[in-house]
Amino acid sequence: MNPDRVTVTAHALHVPDPIGGFAATAAGDLFSSVAPEPACGPDQAHTVLGRKGLLFKEDATRLALCAVHRAFALPPGKLTEPLPGAEHTAVVVSSNVGNARTVRDIVAEMRAGSAHDVSPLNGPSASSNVIASTLAIRYGFTGPNLMVCSGATSGLDAVRLGALLLRGERARRVVVVGVEPDDEVARGLAALRPAAPGTTLPVPLRAAAACVVLELGGSGPLLGDVRRHTRPDDIAEALEPPALRLTAPGAPGAGGGIDLTAHLGEVYGALGVVQLAVAAAWLGSGQPSGPGGALITCGDGEDGYASVRLDPAVVPALAGGG
Amino acid sequence: MHVAITGAELLTCHGGTDTTFAALAKGVDGSQGLRFYDTDRINVTRGYHVDDSDDPEPELPLRAGRWLARCVLGAVRQAGVDPAVERVSVIVGTGLRELRAMERWAVDGVPVRRRDLHFTTAVREVLPEVTEVITVSNACSASGHALALAQDLLAAGEADAVVAAGCDAMSESMLTMIGRVADAPTPALRPFQEGRAGVLLGEGAVAVVLRRAADAGPGALATVLATGLSCDAHHETAPDVGGIVAAMRDAHRRAGVSPHDIGLVLAHGTGTALNDPTEAAALDTVFAGVAPGPLVTGIKGAIGHTSGSAALMSLLVAAEAMRSGSVPATVGLAEPIEAAAGLRLVVGEPAPCDARLAQVNAFGFGGVNAVSVIGVDR
Repeated sequence: MNPDRVTVTAHALHVPDPIGGFAATAAGDLFSSVAPEPACGPDQAHTVLGRKGLLFKEDATRLALCAVHRAFALPPGKLTEPLPGAEHTAVVVSSNVGNARTVRDIVAEMRAGSAHDVSPLNGPSASSNVIASTLAIRYGFTGPNLMVCSGATSGLDAVRLGALLLRGERARRVVVVGVEPDDEVARGLAALRPAAPGTTLPVPLRAAAACVVLELGGSGPLLGDVRRHTRPDDIAEALEPPALRLTAPGAPGAGGGIDLTAHLGEVYGALGVVQLAVAAAWLGSGQPSGPGGALITCGDGEDGYASVRLDPAVVPALAGGG
Repeated sequence: MHVAITGAELLTCHGGTDTTFAALAKGVDGSQGLRFYDTDRINVTRGYHVDDSDDPEPELPLRAGRWLARCVLGAVRQAGVDPAVERVSVIVGTGLRELRAMERWAVDGVPVRRRDLHFTTAVREVLPEVTEVITVSNACSASGHALALAQDLLAAGEADAVVAAGCDAMSESMLTMIGRVADAPTPALRPFQEGRAGVLLGEGAVAVVLRRAADAGPGALATVLATGLSCDAHHETAPDVGGIVAAMRDAHRRAGVSPHDIGLVLAHGTGTALNDPTEAAALDTVFAGVAPGPLVTGIKGAIGHTSGSAALMSLLVAAEAMRSGSVPATVGLAEPIEAAAGLRLVVGEPAPCDARLAQVNAFGFGGVNAVSVIGVDR
């Protein structure tokens, strides 16, 4: 095992309400094969997390907590002490519209009365990094704490920065989360974007969260370098073709790639992490036959594209988690 | 691995880099009456606006992105970097992104595009060939985090040059939460001052171009030795001495310096009830036994709390202070709080300074801390 290789040592998906339901599609088949259990919505997050500490927590924060809780296979309830290794654990969260509704509500309530009519418990959510800091507080993660809000590439930008924190010896473990809510403000913003070429309506937004845990030299699938590119398929990788190709939304390409958003709905800043968690679960499920890992791409025509490979673990029997 | 700053530009309520440095040297408080908002309802009456009042519209859309683009372009030109022939990454640290545009869309019906909430479009409009633009929304230490990541990218060989930047305009929601916790509107931002009333927001943008020091050639503005990062994992809005101390010690360890080597500290110094004594306690802990200890100053009384830009603005002021040998006084400070009695705060007049290494503090909501150590050759 190469101690310099970044590995995915745990992963979890938490997607409450995919648009595809149980319809048989390639994307639906793949997703339900790696995430067969239904996931609760944010209003039922207490069934995963326990009841304490959820008051005034936004949907995105609740879903992010669920994904992390599941990645570490924790029972419901708050921890009485930090997770083992928490002091060397960093957090990188990708979300673009996680706090949009609260920001709208704060302004609307103030304008209807005054600043003193707004609950001070909304204060943390005026700052967009509330999800990342809430994860740190809940699990005791005192390593670097980053909130990435980079648009359509945000999920793989977060993965990329997570790997950088490991290589820069800033953390021994990085918890990477991608999450978006689908409240009315998030949906309203999503409706402003142009539809994909050849379609009239954009794919509807759906809430989603995913978590991948990264460590150097761990036992799990091997993460490649995240690369940026300007068109969905112009990836400068001359390596062997992947066994699993997860494409950018609306860009299935020629090689039989799978666009997960055809099943999940648009998940925006969550997508890159969702794709990586799906690929890690798929590689750990024993389904792959022969060589070749996964190649995933997120992004859009406005923000550009980001891609990364995930290759099978050196010792497959030890792969997986969450 | 050290990195060199080969280009820099900032924009504050005082204007560009030179006029801002001049205002700091004179001790000018740049605050003014708050524009754009219903000050009676919001319970905030003053702030440090970037002066774009000559523009035709009362409140231009996407102001933060405009300022960012101007600073990024200025810094890249000064550094002589060409994104067409080199791999240039841009990391933007911001507290409030363009949430102001989202607020105006949601409450006032002013059109917006979703992609305008982050800064890819704003940067690519002036530098279309950059490799990537990553928006890191890390509250009031965001540009300190951007700087740390920029140095790591260069150390990992993943870029030839990196622009670390910061930008923020005020948001109505953040002003509301500031007004929410104040009994009466804060009349002035006074860091470390006895009886201080609280924070006021500033606006602006800042950008620095970084290269591996070995590649930079002569004439660098400053050298970044290291940035330490930590998260308190303690409270959503209140700071924590332990987390701040951890970031300072991480910075010193990565930089390979001891507290004795630091001659100047640019404090976070927000003028809030909690920040200033907490920061003073952390500095007392880290610099214990160091006599006489570093000079300490802060710039937020002059330019406001510029949120995501704050760390890099303090960094450029620290570099200028070391180059010029003169540290600007802490605007708004006359009688320091007792908790800061152990600090050599610069009060009243600029102080002469022969420091060659400075520490720059930035702490944000959520307990996200970034502390940088920089040096200049004199």
